[in-house]
Amino acid sequence: MIDYFALLGIERRPAINEVFLRDAYVRQAESLQGVQVEASGLSLLNTAFRTIANPATRVQHLLQLQFGDARGGQIGSELGELFGSVAVTLQSVDQEFGSLSAESSALLRALAFQRMDAARQRLQQAENKLLALECNLLSELGKLDGTWPESPGCCRESLAQIALQLTFVQKWLSEVRERKIRLEELT
Amino acid sequence: MSEIVGIDLGTTNSLIGVMDAGFPILIANQEGSRLTPSVVYLPESGDPVVGAPADRMRALFPERTIYSVKRLMGRRPGESEKEDFPFAVKSQSGQMLLELGQRSFKPEEISSLVLKKLKADAELSLGNPIERAVITVPAYFNDLQRQATKRAGELAGFAVERMINEPTAAALAYGLNRLDDHSRIAVYDLGGGTFDISILELNEGVFRVLSTNGNTRLGGDDIDRELVRLLRERIIARHPELRQELDDKLFIARIREIGHAAKLRLSTEETVQVDIPFLSGDRSFPYHLTRQELEAIARPIVRRTRSHCLRSLDDAKLDPAKLDEVILVGGVTRMPIVRQFVAEIFQRLPNNTQNPDEAVAVGATIQAGMLSGQIQNVLLLDVTPLSLGIETFGGLMNVLIPRNSTIPCKAGELFTNAVANQSVVQIVVLQGERELAKDNWELGRFDLEFEPVSKGFARIGVQFEIDADGILHVLARDTRTGRQRLIELSSAVDVSDEAVEKMIAESLDHAFEDMADRLWTEAVLKSNELLPAVRSALTLVGDQIELDDRRKIHRLVNEVEVALKSREHHRLKKANAELDEGTQHLATLLIDRAMAEAARRKK
Repeated sequence: MIDYFALLGIERRPAINEVFLRDAYVRQAESLQGVQVEASGLSLLNTAFRTIANPATRVQHLLQLQFGDARGGQIGSELGELFGSVAVTLQSVDQEFGSLSAESSALLRALAFQRMDAARQRLQQAENKLLALECNLLSELGKLDGTWPESPGCCRESLAQIALQLTFVQKWLSEVRERKIRLEELT
Repeated sequence: MSEIVGIDLGTTNSLIGVMDAGFPILIANQEGSRLTPSVVYLPESGDPVVGAPADRMRALFPERTIYSVKRLMGRRPGESEKEDFPFAVKSQSGQMLLELGQRSFKPEEISSLVLKKLKADAELSLGNPIERAVITVPAYFNDLQRQATKRAGELAGFAVERMINEPTAAALAYGLNRLDDHSRIAVYDLGGGTFDISILELNEGVFRVLSTNGNTRLGGDDIDRELVRLLRERIIARHPELRQELDDKLFIARIREIGHAAKLRLSTEETVQVDIPFLSGDRSFPYHLTRQELEAIARPIVRRTRSHCLRSLDDAKLDPAKLDEVILVGGVTRMPIVRQFVAEIFQRLPNNTQNPDEAVAVGATIQAGMLSGQIQNVLLLDVTPLSLGIETFGGLMNVLIPRNSTIPCKAGELFTNAVANQSVVQIVVLQGERELAKDNWELGRFDLEFEPVSKGFARIGVQFEIDADGILHVLARDTRTGRQRLIELSSAVDVSDEAVEKMIAESLDHAFEDMADRLWTEAVLKSNELLPAVRSALTLVGDQIELDDRRKIHRLVNEVEVALKSREHHRLKKANAELDEGTQHLATLLIDRAMAEAARRKK
């Protein structure tokens, strides 16, 4: 297994500053540039950057390197409930506006427009909740980052949990945002 | 080593440039222009004519003059929307072919003729042969469209050193003399046939694309098409006897030519006098086309770029306030309505210091200079526009490389046998953003062969790599035997022609059987949607319209209800259309009402 942290020339940590990571990545990319035969090296570096830049995949990669296994963690009931409510919001928006397109009759779209503001608010609420959750998870990750150098073993469970939850939050966030854009398209 | 040229292979125009003493310069063609129309006239006998001379043939030989062929590149039958080219386009063996008399051409063959002309003219101008090129592609081109473009370059006799995304090239052209900058820019590129939006971060000579989005079938051509429709309608209104003549391809080509020229002028003028000569020659149709009329038809087309802009901002995790500059590229961005629209989305006036026709070619030339070593200290990090994945259980798409990943990049996947002694598993490779496999582009499929071993013991690692041109390569490696091989993807639609013909014939037979039924059902569905909508609209804003108007709407509703009992689909369809038309102002009132309400709530 390739150590993406090493490839980027950075320390193995659960939390990494965005600008710091970008600079490390660009430095490595510059050193590979011009060497045409090293195209596969650049390809590997880009893959490393993609993996490390996203906190969920970064933590999974870290656990894999450290313990040989990144599985574990649970959604938990609190999150399960939130995801349930987000799913209901998405479904209701799809049902209400899914059959509409820019080609539908003007009157139908105008009527839908009346309800759109409410739908937009529901989506916004869902997005806010998910963003708050993401923010919490990232700050927890930051805390664990402090303990990691001393005792990685203690962090293992919680990190796996955070990685799993982040993966789901990201997926739902992108679903909510896509709905928001589709609503915009109709108006 | 010979020089490398940079080429912008556009839908409408193409350009070529070369590095000269460290500076990118564009080379004029034989006709003395830097813009070569991407038009090819194929006479019945003799050599093809390319560029401006071919463009002049468009209105004379519409069936033999190919334009906007970029819209057909790498495209598969069945993906087509209404294109209404005057030349014949047919599908064969899973690809689109242009038919001219006895001969047929692939889109990339036509493109290669444009490239050949650029090459020959540049060689004349430079005085030495050119063999290597950088060619631009729309950022949102998928794998198939990129491969077709590369083939066009090779057919023209180039070694294609790199394919660069058009908005990225434009960003290079913009940023080359601002190398000390730290800034974030958006490049809004609306060309003749394609739309791209890219967001980049510029940081001390590093050009990093953060996100890209777009539509490879949205552009100025669509505005031209609507303009032709508008002018046709105006002519018919005044000369109903000419309806037949107006369907003539020659005549449509003529209207298109005149309309296109008027569109260009309306970017700076408020009104333009067009004069369309009739085929019979003794009369013509004079018309005052206003900018307002043009904008009314352009607006819905330009609006379609909005959602792409929002998606790319989302993906870059930026809001418009965090951008430093918005750059306009592509001829269509000269239209004032496009500038207003961009200003609205990005909440700032766009930067128009760049020549929108030339920025991409200049950028391609800079990339050529980077490859040849003439330009140093610039690093370009571009992304793949579409997610890459494979089909999994339940017909879902499993993403291996997400969109906006920096290229080149790779992803590995390990496959094993699901049952003992299974000898083969088929892998379907997809590109796109939809959850269901069938909603995405199928790039192709391949078979992985296993040795006969017990369940779960076979191990084949497959590596998917997207190269710096955005083109996919697949490599399989048997982890037990260590054997490695490059996999050729077979085209998704490599079905025999007979099979396709049979399918079409069957569906046609079937279609005729129940065509009347289907039309009727569709009309009924439409009525069922409309009638309750009209009722609620009347409840909400009925008191805001004149009594006469209300009576008229009731009459139209009544006609739909009567037609519903008649089972005549023509009648119902007509009644629906009239009701739709007759309630347009209700729609406007409803929207005004909702906006006022939303504004009140915000206070």
